[in-house]
Amino acid sequence: MPRVISKNHIPNLLIHLKKSHDVFAPMEKEGEVVFGNVEDPTKVLLNYKTTLLPPKIYFLPPEEELFKVTNGRVQEEQLNNKFVVFGLSRKDLEAIVYLDQIMNKKPADTFYLNRRRAVTLIGVSEEEVGVPPGGDLILEKISDRYYRTLALTKKGKKIADLEFFEEKEINHKAKSHEATSKLDQILLDSELIARAIEWSRENYRQIWEHLGRVCLGCGICTYVCPLCYCTSTEDKTSFDQTVCSRCRKWDACTLPGFAKIAGGHNFRPTQAARYFNWFYHKFVRAYKEFGRAQCVACHRCQRYCPAGIDIEKVLEEIINAFQKAEPERKF
Amino acid sequence: MENLLQPKKVKIIKLQEMSANVKLFRLAPVGWKFPADRDGLIFTPGQFFLVGRWGVGEAPFGGASSPFEKGSIEIGVRKAGNVTAALHQLARGDEMTIRGPYGNGYPLDFFKGKDVVMVTGGCGIPPIATLIEYIIARRELFGRVYLLYGALTPDDLLFEERYKHWEKHIKVILTVDKPTPDWKGHIGLVSELTREIKIDPVNTATAMCGPGPMAAALENILRPLGIADRRIFVSEERKMSCGIGKCQHCTTGDKYVCTDGPVFYYDQVQSNWD
Repeated sequence: MPRVISKNHIPNLLIHLKKSHDVFAPMEKEGEVVFGNVEDPTKVLLNYKTTLLPPKIYFLPPEEELFKVTNGRVQEEQLNNKFVVFGLSRKDLEAIVYLDQIMNKKPADTFYLNRRRAVTLIGVSEEEVGVPPGGDLILEKISDRYYRTLALTKKGKKIADLEFFEEKEINHKAKSHEATSKLDQILLDSELIARAIEWSRENYRQIWEHLGRVCLGCGICTYVCPLCYCTSTEDKTSFDQTVCSRCRKWDACTLPGFAKIAGGHNFRPTQAARYFNWFYHKFVRAYKEFGRAQCVACHRCQRYCPAGIDIEKVLEEIINAFQKAEPERKF
Repeated sequence: MENLLQPKKVKIIKLQEMSANVKLFRLAPVGWKFPADRDGLIFTPGQFFLVGRWGVGEAPFGGASSPFEKGSIEIGVRKAGNVTAALHQLARGDEMTIRGPYGNGYPLDFFKGKDVVMVTGGCGIPPIATLIEYIIARRELFGRVYLLYGALTPDDLLFEERYKHWEKHIKVILTVDKPTPDWKGHIGLVSELTREIKIDPVNTATAMCGPGPMAAALENILRPLGIADRRIFVSEERKMSCGIGKCQHCTTGDKYVCTDGPVFYYDQVQSNWD
């Protein structure tokens, strides 16, 4: 018999989790849905489109202090609290699993992995989950009142064993998966995208030149992307020089100085080159490194781009041009 | 698990001005030792370290001393940016940090039994200097060995004391663009020196480190000499920041300079556009 939780019990579950963990979940703030520290569990959103910033903010924070040196004594960043991120969408879970793969690839990133070990991920899906993308526990809506549990790890099972859950046969089924977006469909063929982007560098330059003019070089697309992970490291020193922090911050390959080296040479001097590199990393370098495009079609970059660039349309245009120029040879 | 971003403490035990804007730092570990591999090397020539100082930051430097030296390591620091300018302020006895070595280094086993041509310019010499020290320590394993080294002026040719020692073991050919009245070496681009050397092209390995234009000029000379691209090894320069293939600052085409390089086959990088 499936283990379920009634919608009314979810706030109680969150109150319980808050006793031993920091709990973060999606909530509304100034007209946007954002992840935040749960104070009032009734304000937590279960059914929402996407958050503004992706949940990577909890594992690869916008700024984190990697090391603190006080009078010559070096201290590595310590995580004090175990925490829960609740209400993750399937796409965000999918992105976290991919980010785990990236950060686990040797040489691995200790700071990311430490944060990942400290967290419990709870997904919520208003539709049928199908193959669970990842996380510790997923709550799948099967009726107006009930969510079915899919416990994927020991941590998830422990939560699903709590008294807020019950064994219950429900005759309803989860709502079937709604039609996916065009971008979802394009992403089914990572190899084709990789070939098309690689081809476009020399053979369809006009699109990159155009995008280089349109792109404002603000970096927003990379900050809202659940799978962008460029960083820079910077030292800060207290006025009396006794305390130094080595901080790692989000960076963006679309920003002008990203590939600049000491002495002033810039390996990507134009916005067109930088914007191309953003695509090249996501769809070609990533494909060669991990076998899959680094995009989960969350559409955040499109929604928040102040210049209105829609990567779905860009990919579609390049792939169409590529297929027209290089029709598949059939044997 | 070892935290690869955690640097270790070193102390400056020797500091030497090599030219107007390059200083040679000799750094010794404080409270730890450089681990050596089975061959007794603490790094492979061509590998780099992230060296810096708390409160200043880190920058990538190729090891410049003999990789067999276990007690300390040398790096050449050209004053070019914020970190290097701050490091130039330091004095003997000051503390710094180091982590690494990172990257692949030159493929030493491939070089063995072959003629070796090393080509570099200006401050691209440190990784080549290390390779030379390795070759001299194992001289019997290599055929004819040449160093072709060019710089703007005679003052910009670094490691003068060392190439006087190297000359006893390998052929050193120097060139400058702007000679001084007492200059006795060659004048002109390093790429023109290839006429001076006698090699067996099918049994030669070439190591290069230096600015892009030199590599491009060499393409027109090493190739006509019959040296295949896969016998030419180039050390690439980018802004290596994390050193572990994550931060994306050092990418070129589909490669990470920090983990796939910094030494590449020539054909791996010649088609790269960034």
